[in-house]
Amino acid sequence: MARRHNRLAALLLAPLLLLLCGSFFIPVARILVTAVADPELSEALPRTAALLRGWDGQGPPPEPVFVAIGEELAAALRDRRIGRVAQRLNFEQSGMRSLLLRTARAGVTSRAALVALDARWGAPETWTLLRGAAGPATGLYLLRALDLVRSPDGAIQPVPKDDALYRTLFLRTLWIALVVTAICVVLAYPVAAVLAGLPPRWSRIGMLLVLVPFWTSVLVRTTAWFVLLQREGPLNAALVALGLVDQPVQLIGTRFAVVLAMVHVLLPFAILPAYSVMKRIDPALMRAAASLGAPGWWRFLAIHLPLSLPGVAAGAAFVFLLSAGYFITPALLGGPQDQMVASFIAFFMNQTVNWGMASALACLLLAMAGAVLALARGLLPGVLSGRFRA
Amino acid sequence: MRRLGLAAVMIALAFGASARDLTVVAGGGPLQDHMRRTLFQPFAAANGIAVADTAYDYNVGPIRAMVRAGNVTWDVVLVEAPDLVQGCDDGMFERIDWSVVDRQKFLPGGTSECGAGAIGWGVSVFYDNHRHANGPASFAEFWDVARFPGRRAMRRGARMTMEIALLSDGVAMADVYPLLATPEGQRRAFARLDQLRPSLMFWSGGQQPIELINAGEVDYAFGFVGRTANAIRAGAPLALRWETLLYTYDFWAVVRGSEHTAMAMRLIESLTDEAPLLALSAAWPVNPVTASVARNPALLAANPLMMSNHVDGALRMDTEFWLEHGSDLEQRFTAWLNR
Repeated sequence: MARRHNRLAALLLAPLLLLLCGSFFIPVARILVTAVADPELSEALPRTAALLRGWDGQGPPPEPVFVAIGEELAAALRDRRIGRVAQRLNFEQSGMRSLLLRTARAGVTSRAALVALDARWGAPETWTLLRGAAGPATGLYLLRALDLVRSPDGAIQPVPKDDALYRTLFLRTLWIALVVTAICVVLAYPVAAVLAGLPPRWSRIGMLLVLVPFWTSVLVRTTAWFVLLQREGPLNAALVALGLVDQPVQLIGTRFAVVLAMVHVLLPFAILPAYSVMKRIDPALMRAAASLGAPGWWRFLAIHLPLSLPGVAAGAAFVFLLSAGYFITPALLGGPQDQMVASFIAFFMNQTVNWGMASALACLLLAMAGAVLALARGLLPGVLSGRFRA
Repeated sequence: MRRLGLAAVMIALAFGASARDLTVVAGGGPLQDHMRRTLFQPFAAANGIAVADTAYDYNVGPIRAMVRAGNVTWDVVLVEAPDLVQGCDDGMFERIDWSVVDRQKFLPGGTSECGAGAIGWGVSVFYDNHRHANGPASFAEFWDVARFPGRRAMRRGARMTMEIALLSDGVAMADVYPLLATPEGQRRAFARLDQLRPSLMFWSGGQQPIELINAGEVDYAFGFVGRTANAIRAGAPLALRWETLLYTYDFWAVVRGSEHTAMAMRLIESLTDEAPLLALSAAWPVNPVTASVARNPALLAANPLMMSNHVDGALRMDTEFWLEHGSDLEQRFTAWLNR
């Protein structure tokens, strides 16, 4: 009997599990794989890749490697499969693209001819680079996403200072997301408390005021902030008219503008869960506390706050996760020092079509967001698991 | 019997619906509306076929995915030069059939293995001449904050920015790319950017420079000439400094694996022909890469804001350079921005 129930339950759960697999686990797994996969060289130049995997890396590679790469490059150019491997190697070492294309066009297939065409074919670093790209997996993208590179001798070292970018980017993304979350929580709490305490008719009107902006496109709301904040916009006009500043203040292109607009866009995500939890707090508890002589602030601290925390925590998690992936608002309102990881993922995805790098950044962003949520869960165990004291 | 006939009709209808129309993809907006009227539909009518068109944002990621998945739903696409060359090496685009498309009719550099020149575009300095009667007419002056105080807007990206940094430092046009390929040249460009940095703002979308100028956020901007010229035609008081022009071409290409390849080649031949292009240019002054139109004296005289009037002596952006050094320089540029 129990077993049959279990089977029925499993059957009923199956669509949900399939949906989870199809829309969550499989895509995430594919992103993880793309971040470390290194198929370009072995797909375009399979013989060269196999020979290089067997090469000990000492001194120049044997003659057959030169023959194989010469023939396979020419064939890849003819069949137009050379672009991806050229892009892959050029990403690791600028200049490789023209070297591969020039060699492919020349169609030379011996060590002497290759070295005569370009001295780089005689350099061991070129061959170490090629061997490193022979697959099947590479740490290149994940390392680059942490501002690290592997030197020719295999040691992991930081990229030159002028090229370092991504660590700053991740820390900034984390910081902006945390600031936006904190502000949203602080602003959302009283709003949700007031809405939950209003008589139903007024609370419905209040909810509408929260929901209408929520349903408006993010792009529209961000653009509205651009109009409000611009040098000759209403906010600057008001500041000047009030005599608070002599000249219009630069607001567009600042961190302030980004945080302001993100808080505005994401606030409903903090209000709604907090509201729904507060709505369910039994008013009898507060009355009971009052009848036992607890003053207002004590009733709030002992009853309302702990009971409402799960909703606040849910809202905070929403806001944090959404803001960690933010993209449009920083692009339109922020300066170059306000751009977040998501915009770089889009850049690699759409513009340079470097899916390895886009995936590596996405993986690290996912890991960072997951780590923050896990940490919050660890610090506030009662709140997030729902085992709150009351 | 009647039933059978009905079934046959329904099957025919189903097949008719599943056959995909020849599909052209361009950048959208009013330009594409004019292209539809003057280029696409006349070709459709002349050949008795249907031509559909849709817009994209010049991001070739989706095309790559389409070819890789073997599910090609676009046939002819307007692409940027670096994407064209890279995509051609990759087998993302078909080789142009030069027995169908006349290769002789294009401007120098207007064709490549997989692409036929479509329209030129460029970037230059412009400003609001109500606010400033006089503005920078060269990159040396664009950098001269003593003579022209005020904020400047530039593109957020290395491409186009590195070039003008070197031009501002007195580097001759012919030397820009060879120098930029060297570490010293790159250092020199970044040093110039460092000097201007306190006055710089950066834009990412093509309409932003005009908005920044209109809103008074910046005094001088470096932006797309097409957009600036359109704003001027619509009555905006903008001064466009052609002396500071950098330009390149976009190309028509055929997506590899298209089921309409033969028809797509004929379409490209028609898209780049004199008569349809003159009709398009009369409605919307694009900068054709077809020589007879780009050098048509009547057309040039009627459209002083056409870029084709001003490309002599301007710097043509080097596609191969950016394919080779783009990923490095873009990363270094972004790192510079974030410092």
